[in-house]
Amino acid sequence: MSTAGQPSEVKGRLFGKNVLEATFRAAPDEDLFLGELLVGVDDATGRRYLFRVVDVTYGTEHREPGWAERVAGTMLADDGRDEAGAHPLYEQSRRTYRVATCSCLGYLAPAAGDAGRTEFRKPKSLPTQFSRVVAPEPEDFAFLARRMGDLPIGMLRSGETVVDFPVGIPGTALASHVGIFATTGMGKSNLMRVLAAGVMQANGRYGLLIIDPHGEYRTALARHPWAGVGLRTYAARSLPNTTALRVSLAELNVDDLRTAYEWSRPQEEALFELERHYGVGGLGWLAEFARLDDLPGFRDVELNGRIALSTLQVVHRRARRIVELQCVATDPNVSVGGAVLRDLTAGQVVLVDVSGLGSTEEVLVASYLTRRILEEWQSAYLDRPEVHERMPVVAVVLEEAQRVLSASKDRESNVFPRVAREGRKFNVGICAITQQPKLLDDELLSQFNTFFILGLADEKDRNILRSSSKQDISAVGKEIQTLMPGECLIAGLAAPFAMPAKVDLYTDLIRVAPPPPPPRATVAANISALVD
Amino acid sequence: MGPPSIDEVAARLAGLLTYAGGALADPERHDLLFEPEIRLLPLRRRPAPADVWAVDGGQATVADARCLQLVVTRAARARWADGAIILEDEGELRPQLVGCGEEGTAILRYELPVRPDAAIDIGLLRDWGEWQAVARSVDEADAGAMVLVDGDLEPDWRIPPAFLESLFQRAAARGVTLLGVTKHSSLAKGGAPLLGQIERQAEKDLGPRAMWWARLATTRPDAGPTRQILAARLDPDARFSFRIDLPVDADPDIALGSLSGLADDAAFPGYPYPLSVADRLAACPTWVRDDVWAQLDDGLDRFGVPFDVRERAFSDRHRLMERA
Repeated sequence: MSTAGQPSEVKGRLFGKNVLEATFRAAPDEDLFLGELLVGVDDATGRRYLFRVVDVTYGTEHREPGWAERVAGTMLADDGRDEAGAHPLYEQSRRTYRVATCSCLGYLAPAAGDAGRTEFRKPKSLPTQFSRVVAPEPEDFAFLARRMGDLPIGMLRSGETVVDFPVGIPGTALASHVGIFATTGMGKSNLMRVLAAGVMQANGRYGLLIIDPHGEYRTALARHPWAGVGLRTYAARSLPNTTALRVSLAELNVDDLRTAYEWSRPQEEALFELERHYGVGGLGWLAEFARLDDLPGFRDVELNGRIALSTLQVVHRRARRIVELQCVATDPNVSVGGAVLRDLTAGQVVLVDVSGLGSTEEVLVASYLTRRILEEWQSAYLDRPEVHERMPVVAVVLEEAQRVLSASKDRESNVFPRVAREGRKFNVGICAITQQPKLLDDELLSQFNTFFILGLADEKDRNILRSSSKQDISAVGKEIQTLMPGECLIAGLAAPFAMPAKVDLYTDLIRVAPPPPPPRATVAANISALVD
Repeated sequence: MGPPSIDEVAARLAGLLTYAGGALADPERHDLLFEPEIRLLPLRRRPAPADVWAVDGGQATVADARCLQLVVTRAARARWADGAIILEDEGELRPQLVGCGEEGTAILRYELPVRPDAAIDIGLLRDWGEWQAVARSVDEADAGAMVLVDGDLEPDWRIPPAFLESLFQRAAARGVTLLGVTKHSSLAKGGAPLLGQIERQAEKDLGPRAMWWARLATTRPDAGPTRQILAARLDPDARFSFRIDLPVDADPDIALGSLSGLADDAAFPGYPYPLSVADRLAACPTWVRDDVWAQLDDGLDRFGVPFDVRERAFSDRHRLMERA
């Protein structure tokens, strides 16, 4: 990127394509990168067209078929004889060149009525042919500044160059659901930490419930300078500086079980039969059922043989496993549900460390907490709108989200699809993390307004995102394929195009994070005034 | 007897191409005295000359009314020094009406050294432009330079030998070597292309990666300044050898060795790179013809020539009729 006040170095000259695409010729040694942001300077109209490089190929002045292959063959033969350079290609800079294909992101034109300001417009016109293509200047991105939101993510990226321009998303976007898509090692966890850091520093405007199955966030997030005021950690096992995660059976319900476990139709009917039999709210009956020794007798006598014994045995085995979980309490008065809701209402990051639990139990906990949040925010929205207005926007972060958001999981009983469809109205969103977006239900994915796309090798994964993204990312398939760890595209409604970004490194971020504001000074109570 | 079948033609062609004997000849010209025996000599690459000029011509028929044509010609020059082209002169496009008594105009305008009643055609115009460019290059070249001509060192037959005589003298006086490179020669042996036969022989005698040269003929003393006609393979990876024309007093070993130093471009091993540049510059592709035609159209508009008059004169009736 050129610096302000200095003339931009010419990268090439525009020669072809259409309103949405541009091709320009560059020198054969011009180092162009996929995803690089460039500007087409239309001197005739005064517009500056913003381009993103989506492909780079070779070009040659020679029109004979096979010319380039022949040259390569000659040189290769020289190499084979250990005579590299025996046949130079004279004047290579004149005879060969590079052709960059760009998608046109839009153009900057002087704002009507404000000569000093430019505004960004979607591409609807063709820049003058042979316009110069140059590196962007800082002012070219000025229009983005007010769209970058209050949850910082990192810096703008142009190809492999990190541009000194912070990018992020508005916290309100959490309510309209966020997807984080990447293969292993591309920086999902770091991005999640950075997002959590932004929420912690947002002075209570947003809340985040992170269900952490691998225990990978606890130590890192606790190191954030704002963790004291912005982070609450619950753990399913005994861990230092955490609150014990205890969920009362009475607060769980059959839907949570149906979300967490795979049940056959007869097994589901058995659950309903048992619920009817015990007549207790929630899953409070599960403890008593789990203690049964004579299952055949119970079946014959209590249930009049309405459930097959083998079905009942499966339910019984699962009931015992759930009841034996350290985080499950039979006492209806012991539960962290209320505390989690209070923390989130206070605009904090709530980290629920479920490491040590099995995958299904983890989903059970997540289902319960998500249901509680949805109910709380929904009831406030419907019954106490003035309270709801003051409640922060919250999002539930789910790892391996395909476990609960796949097409086969889209059932009435599953709270997660419900949040995806209805949560936005109540300011409750989902932050789905997955390596395999292709496994998510298409219709549910279309509810996600913000995508963080990190490196994805699988074409099917890229295709599903392409069809669901709120920005046109059809031309950036190659860029996604070649993203390095920490590099991402942010596709959302706030920015006018998918923003290429380099995500901040969380460890660097906490080094420079400002200290939290001091607690508000409170006036000492005037005890004497209370004394008559 | 009737026309031959394809099989008969193939049989005759096979006989010509594979028969190793027969006399040397140039079916297009009769001014060569051929060597009694062709001796293949190894060629050693030498450094390219410091100053090299290359000249090539281009032509196009813009409008063709059969009895009257608008043609354009150009002569392009490229100058090579220090491993790069330092001058690219594509030459001005020269338009000329040919036919219906326009010849006199052409002779005057282009100072053609031909008889007043000489037939003027596009070939002559292009050739004369090329030789004028060669002459300018000889005059502008540094001492010790080489001026390369695309084709043989033989102007159109209508240009008197005195022109070439004078040019050779000027070149010799300035220490400039004139050299013609013919990509597609009409020289033959026993009725079959000569160079192909020599190439096969050289591969057999000297090996597949040998550079070589051979003296083929000299021009007759009464056909202008004497030139030596050679064949040479200028790069170990050259796909083809070429006919090379040199003034008789030039040392072939030195001239061809230096020429070989220019013929190592990876795109065209064996062909002097400056000539390939001149060839590109001289080309008159379709867009050039279209551009000239558009300019002509504007001119005809200004002079009030009705559209249908132009159409009737210059429409390609063959093409139109064949559409049906």
